[in-house]
Amino acid sequence: MTYNLGISKIDELIGDIKGGTNIMMIGPPMSGKDDITNIIAYHGLINKNAAVIVSTREPGNNVLDWFESRDLSIPSEHIGIVDCVTRTLGFGAPDTENIKMASSPVDLTGIGVKISQFFERFWMEMQLKETRLCINSLSTILMYSNLQTVFRFLHVFTGRVKAANALGVYVIEDGMHDDKTIVTLKQLFDGMIEIREKDDGYQMRATGFASKPTPWFDYEIDGVNIILRG
Amino acid sequence: MMKTGIPALDDHLHGGIPRGKSLVYYAYPGVECNVFGMQTMYRAVSEGGRGIYVTSSTDPRMIRDQFAEFGWDAAKYGDRFVIVDGFSGLVGANSSEQYVVSTPDDADSLTQAIKQVMEDMDEPSVIVFESLSTIMDLCGESATLDAIEEWNQYAMLYDHVIVYNFTAWPYSEDTLAHVKGDICNSVVLIGGIVEKVIFSQYFGVKKTDWDEVTKKCTLYKVLKPGGVRVYLPKILVTGPFDAGKSTFVHALSTRSVSVDRLGTTVALDYGHVDHKGFTADIFGTPGQERFDPIVKLLSGEAMGIFLILDSTNTGDFVRAKRMLEITESMGLPVVIVANKQDLEGALTPEEIRRELDMAHDAPIIPVVATSREGVFEAFDVLVDRVMEAGSI
Ligand SMILES: Nc1nc2c(ncn2[C@@H]2O[C@H](COP(=O)(O)OP(=O)(O)OP(=O)(O)O)[C@@H](O)[C@H]2O)c(=O)[nH]1
Ligand SMILES: [Mg+2]
Repeated sequence: MTYNLGISKIDELIGDIKGGTNIMMIGPPMSGKDDITNIIAYHGLINKNAAVIVSTREPGNNVLDWFESRDLSIPSEHIGIVDCVTRTLGFGAPDTENIKMASSPVDLTGIGVKISQFFERFWMEMQLKETRLCINSLSTILMYSNLQTVFRFLHVFTGRVKAANALGVYVIEDGMHDDKTIVTLKQLFDGMIEIREKDDGYQMRATGFASKPTPWFDYEIDGVNIILRG
Repeated sequence: MMKTGIPALDDHLHGGIPRGKSLVYYAYPGVECNVFGMQTMYRAVSEGGRGIYVTSSTDPRMIRDQFAEFGWDAAKYGDRFVIVDGFSGLVGANSSEQYVVSTPDDADSLTQAIKQVMEDMDEPSVIVFESLSTIMDLCGESATLDAIEEWNQYAMLYDHVIVYNFTAWPYSEDTLAHVKGDICNSVVLIGGIVEKVIFSQYFGVKKTDWDEVTKKCTLYKVLKPGGVRVYLPKILVTGPFDAGKSTFVHALSTRSVSVDRLGTTVALDYGHVDHKGFTADIFGTPGQERFDPIVKLLSGEAMGIFLILDSTNTGDFVRAKRMLEITESMGLPVVIVANKQDLEGALTPEEIRRELDMAHDAPIIPVVATSREGVFEAFDVLVDRVMEAGSI
């Protein structure tokens, strides 16, 4: 059971990612992390993976729209979104097939339950044995709960990703947290996708997958593709 | 006694929670737990009592909606449904609730609000904490443990019942041992059966200090609407050819399908039953001898068995007993369904008992599957037996 990110040159350099891997994606605001996260999920969906996306900044419907507006041929029943936004805004929206509502980003118990329910549905009912879990983003969760709390939550769920041979991607806003936070959380991850600002644009690289980091690549996002240069 | 609202759990607790006592729903992360506290709260208000719900991670405006999802209309109970808002203060929102915790990440501030509400209630009530773990995350482990002791003592003083939902994140071992051990009068464990993913959930009483503990775990599912339902993943329906197995499965089920050819079952019947706090998946076998290998295949891991008989057809009774053997049901709870009681010449249950040479306490229920007469009685009896046997 292996995974690829769907970012061509980086995939070639790091090779197959083995099931049970947890990846932290860290980058500055506006660098397209939402798109990159969704593209990683999308790349799974077109390969018969399931995708579970925990959304803390966008209502679940927006996330679903992202996929549907780009490619109607992906099986939407393979997408599960945990929406931590809608009910925080005071809307009593019910759960749907694709979207389960958590009460708020503080509601880690609820978020955990919804993730588990999607895992169960995809694995047991739909027999999808490859699942990508994307949490976008840990930074919002860290705004409401302290580091220790978030660490405990992640300790459990990175463990579940490992047990289920899934792929976990966890997004963090660069510059928003102190070093201690980043260092503490890093312990839970097997690899990183790092993004930095360079000249007029952004660059990314992957670390932790091979003996040394990949080079930095300029990139551009075009629909469901990430085009690397350099 | 206050009921938890989950009948099987009330049984395990010997009737419910005595006044002045505390109970913690101690859940494995990822297993749906909050619904337990909600169901206990709802039970209290719907029986004419008062319930106090202490929110920590949910906007109070959403609380009543969350209850409504389970089909529980909180609005109907007016001021008997009280919310202590321990959330708004956290996100800097205004609250329109009567009881508001000004600084939810300070245990003293919580204690103040909780004592106030306990004093204000003019009758013994139920206080339900939406999430003790969130409080622990916000206020710290030791401050929260101290606070729990204080709240429990206060509840005892006023004869209130106090109930906590708690998710067992990896806190310090000491903290977990306290929560699971001595801090409350009673502990209900809520767990998951895990194999790659959590695929099955159960509850069981770990401790009560008012009676002996019945060491039983019960599988459950959460239905919307409905709440916590005891789940029986596999009940088998077997019996001779043409006895009425398929008819029985359909009579019992809210959803069902059969794989039949020319009116006889060639593969199986499947039905889903939702009845009186129980939810069950029912599997009916074929009856003809040539399908015996399928019968054997279907019967693995069954929790209980209905043996369906055509009460007019004594000639098939030997075959019926043989089918019990094929299903390897030794020791499993069995209910004998004396079907087709509407037909002339149908034997009574007692006559059938003699014919079959069954023990005097083996349950034999008269049924007319075509008109559903007796089918739910038979279900109740089997469920009772399965629960007594008490397996996961
Ligand atoms: N009068 C009467 N007829 C019944 C009753 N229950 C079932 N039947 C009839 O008995 C026949 C057989 O019923 P099924 O439910 O198909 O029986 P089965 O046990 O599933 O049969 P196989 O799958 O072929 O072994 C049908 O014609 C039913 O309508 C009953 O309580 N009273
Ligand atoms: Mg049949």
